[in-house]
Amino acid sequence: MLRTEQFTINIGPQHPSTHGGLHVEAVMDGEFIVDAIVHLGYVHRSVEKIAESRTYPQYVPYTSRLDYLASHLPTLGYCQAVEKMLGVAVPERAEYIRIIMAEFSRIASHLLFIGSCAIDLGATTGLIYCLRDRERIMDMFEMTSGQRLIASYMRIGGVSEDLPDTFIPAARSFIADFPEMIAEYDGLIIGNEILQARLKGVGRLNADDAIAYGVSGPNLRACGIDYDIRKAEPYGIYDRFDFTVPLAENGDSWDRLLVRMEEMQQSIHIIEQALNQLPEGEVKAKVPRIIKPAEGIEVYHRIESSKGELGYYIVADGGEKPYRLHVRAPSFINLMVLPMISKGGKLQDIIANIATLDPVLGESDR
Amino acid sequence: MEHFFLNIAHSLIVWLMGLGLSSKGADLVLLIVQWICIVAIVTINVIVLIWLERKVAGFMQQRLGPNRLGPAGMFQTIADAIKLLTKEDIIPSAADRIIFRTAPIFFIIIAVMLYVVLPMGDGMQIVDLNVGVFYFISVASLSTICLLMAGWGSNNKWSLLGAMRSVAQMISYEIPLAFSLLGVIMIAGSLSLSDIVAAQNNIWFIILQPVAFITFFIAATAELNRGPFDMPEAEQELTAGAYTEYTGMRWALFFLAEYTNLVAVSALASTMFLGGWHGPWLPSWIWIIIKTYLVMLIFMWMKWTFPRIRMDHLMSFSWKVLIPVTLANILVTGAGIQFLAGMGW
Amino acid sequence: MKGQGLLKGLYITLKRAVGKDITIQYPEQMPYLQDRFRGCLHFDYTKCIVCGLCTKACPNNVLSYESRQVEGSKKKELVSYTIDLQYCLFCNLCVEACPTNTLYFTHDFELSRYQRDQIKIVYEIPKEEPSAVKVDLKGDAPEPDETKKEKQLAAMTAALQKNPQKTVRKMVENDEDAEILAGILLEDEQKLSRMAALMIADREKAKKVAVAFVNKEKKDRLKGGGAEDESK
Ligand code: SF4
Ligand code: SF4
Repeated sequence: MLRTEQFTINIGPQHPSTHGGLHVEAVMDGEFIVDAIVHLGYVHRSVEKIAESRTYPQYVPYTSRLDYLASHLPTLGYCQAVEKMLGVAVPERAEYIRIIMAEFSRIASHLLFIGSCAIDLGATTGLIYCLRDRERIMDMFEMTSGQRLIASYMRIGGVSEDLPDTFIPAARSFIADFPEMIAEYDGLIIGNEILQARLKGVGRLNADDAIAYGVSGPNLRACGIDYDIRKAEPYGIYDRFDFTVPLAENGDSWDRLLVRMEEMQQSIHIIEQALNQLPEGEVKAKVPRIIKPAEGIEVYHRIESSKGELGYYIVADGGEKPYRLHVRAPSFINLMVLPMISKGGKLQDIIANIATLDPVLGESDR
Repeated sequence: MEHFFLNIAHSLIVWLMGLGLSSKGADLVLLIVQWICIVAIVTINVIVLIWLERKVAGFMQQRLGPNRLGPAGMFQTIADAIKLLTKEDIIPSAADRIIFRTAPIFFIIIAVMLYVVLPMGDGMQIVDLNVGVFYFISVASLSTICLLMAGWGSNNKWSLLGAMRSVAQMISYEIPLAFSLLGVIMIAGSLSLSDIVAAQNNIWFIILQPVAFITFFIAATAELNRGPFDMPEAEQELTAGAYTEYTGMRWALFFLAEYTNLVAVSALASTMFLGGWHGPWLPSWIWIIIKTYLVMLIFMWMKWTFPRIRMDHLMSFSWKVLIPVTLANILVTGAGIQFLAGMGW
Repeated sequence: MKGQGLLKGLYITLKRAVGKDITIQYPEQMPYLQDRFRGCLHFDYTKCIVCGLCTKACPNNVLSYESRQVEGSKKKELVSYTIDLQYCLFCNLCVEACPTNTLYFTHDFELSRYQRDQIKIVYEIPKEEPSAVKVDLKGDAPEPDETKKEKQLAAMTAALQKNPQKTVRKMVENDEDAEILAGILLEDEQKLSRMAALMIADREKAKKVAVAFVNKEKKDRLKGGGAEDESK
């Protein structure tokens, strides 16, 4: 028998499929993963510390940069957290616009998820088709906020500007074309037997471990746990909409993909309802220019972002700036299960696992 | 037109003999000219192919592909080649220098050697070996060694992983590749490629051996390291696999060799299954070009559509599916031949 | 059946391959930008009331200005205004804060520069003529106002009349041509004023016009010369 040796290999931070700077130190036995250690912090920008030197409204653009793939969602969470501190009521129309934007962000994020999942498994063309359709959402963001990726559209007390006239037709046409897009992804990506073989049974996460690790979002629902903050603790006006929470059973990579596919359809469903109910009126509440929550106010607000439970913990000290701000980043916590689900798998499986856990490094490294 | 190249060769010999060369000497000179022609064909083909591949990928992804340099971006590849030539040639300090340097050279030499037996038209074959198919398969399998050399020589873990993958993959797929050609050889009754082409005068072997064609095609994709079987390169997993440490022209040589292999295997597929140079109206050498390019287009089409298969699935697919199927195919073919012979055909 | 999904994928890519492409050929073809698109931040110096709200709103200290007290009044006036675009988050907070719409975003998104200091946009307001503005960013110079233009024009015309040869020397190839041009301009009032205006507004165009003038004159002279010969 020849002597064999384990070796360590650094997957990332400079690697084609580590989603922008994830560093995994993998101990390998041939093609098999013996152990994996996730090193975070490569794109650390001290976003939490920056908050302490910015006033409350000034911090809004930075939150967009947390999860840049769904930039409306983290902004929404932050604005709602500050509104909670101040006790500001947001105008109806703004609430609806926020929901529409948030759900479109979720779709944009999931579209990129499916595309990047395809390209990480080697199917380049799948990514391009997803990006093509995502561009339409980006165009809508550009219409409303003027920016495509990092929108900074929400404001404390509402949104920065009302929807332009072109937005609603664009949104409706996107909704109308959506089944066609889904059919294309179904044919090219989801229905592909090679892809199914690579994802089914890979990176299985069982429900107990998921809860123990604090996994949230689609990754948790793929394990079969019915937990969605939009339902469990509705924020904004989510309680007015009718939608289901898609669930799967096995918690493997394949289920994580399917859950997200289904979630996009639900988001479309929510947007449709919101568009139909959209009332007229103001889009921004009267908020004082200088925001000074009283000393000692602490607030934790969480929303269901496209990656999971996104929470903001803000402590005020009576000044214009937060005393401390903490972000509970879902990507960060979801990534912690990566070593567990990758052990014993192959090198190719760890790539699939990273892809289907859908981390965004801007958020997990902060 | 039909005998355009043959006439050139003939007049060359006549002219050389006229200069006072013996017939052996004239043959030798002709052989050298043929070799130069092969190298030229290979290079031009690769330039066209890379452009074609980019265009195909572009069209599939609803883009235009290269379109800046020259007509329809034709000169993009040339510009890239110039860029690669001017790049710094980096050899990692921990690399095994001799192996690292020779690997790309061997790779391209082996790729060019494949062309010796391919009939590029009626009578256009450099050497008509009576074991042509055997020669082709055995030379093609040598390229594994070059990939292993590249992976080992670079002294990089990614490279080594890529190299090990390539060895495992190539060895497993050599067998179904050879087995799927056996059916054709049995029908033609010869290992010589020109005999096999001649045997397809009436009916192409793709009709007699459809299963063999499919298995051959799959095995060839794996042999060529092309998607969905591009394990040794596997960009999304192994960064660039066995080629990770290569830069500039050394890397380009690998690239060149891969495309050269692609042309050779596609030409083999059209020779073995698609009737070789047989075809109406057009000269024979144009037919083989058309067929080869069609086969290559299918290779590209597959590469840009499918995700990469997983290593263990790849192996089990070869040993558990392809090899039994090819064996069964040989059995059925043999039985059929016996049966028809018994019927007095 | 196994393999169906693969075939379907092949069919989809084939369909897309023969279909139309969706990309924009960028430098030749410009993307369609929505009305609210935030490209480059601009500053309209005439409207600014120096209230400082923009700098307070900006999260990243992009904006800064220098001001001074207007003599004999409480009002302030602007000396210079700086937008250090490299730190801008394009968040729109300053635009929303400004009460007079002084700041606005244009659709110009090609913000790359070769040097770092070219990114900074400085609007300087000269003391004497508070409205004349020098802008460091290429291409977007605000038009100097009418009075200044007129002054410049008058100066240029005077120079042309006084010492034409020297003034136009830079516009043409050699001294000889300059002489010819000077002759033309002195002869024709209209041409002189037009040239003066062009030399202020657009040097390149002025050069072209000058060369055209000279060439035409040369041709005319040749013809005229020929005619003279004939007459002799
Ligand atoms: S857009 Fe935002 S970052 Fe840029 S200058 Fe205005 S307030 Fe500052
Ligand atoms: S907010 Fe507007 S008016 Fe006030 S200083 Fe800034 S640019 Fe000038």
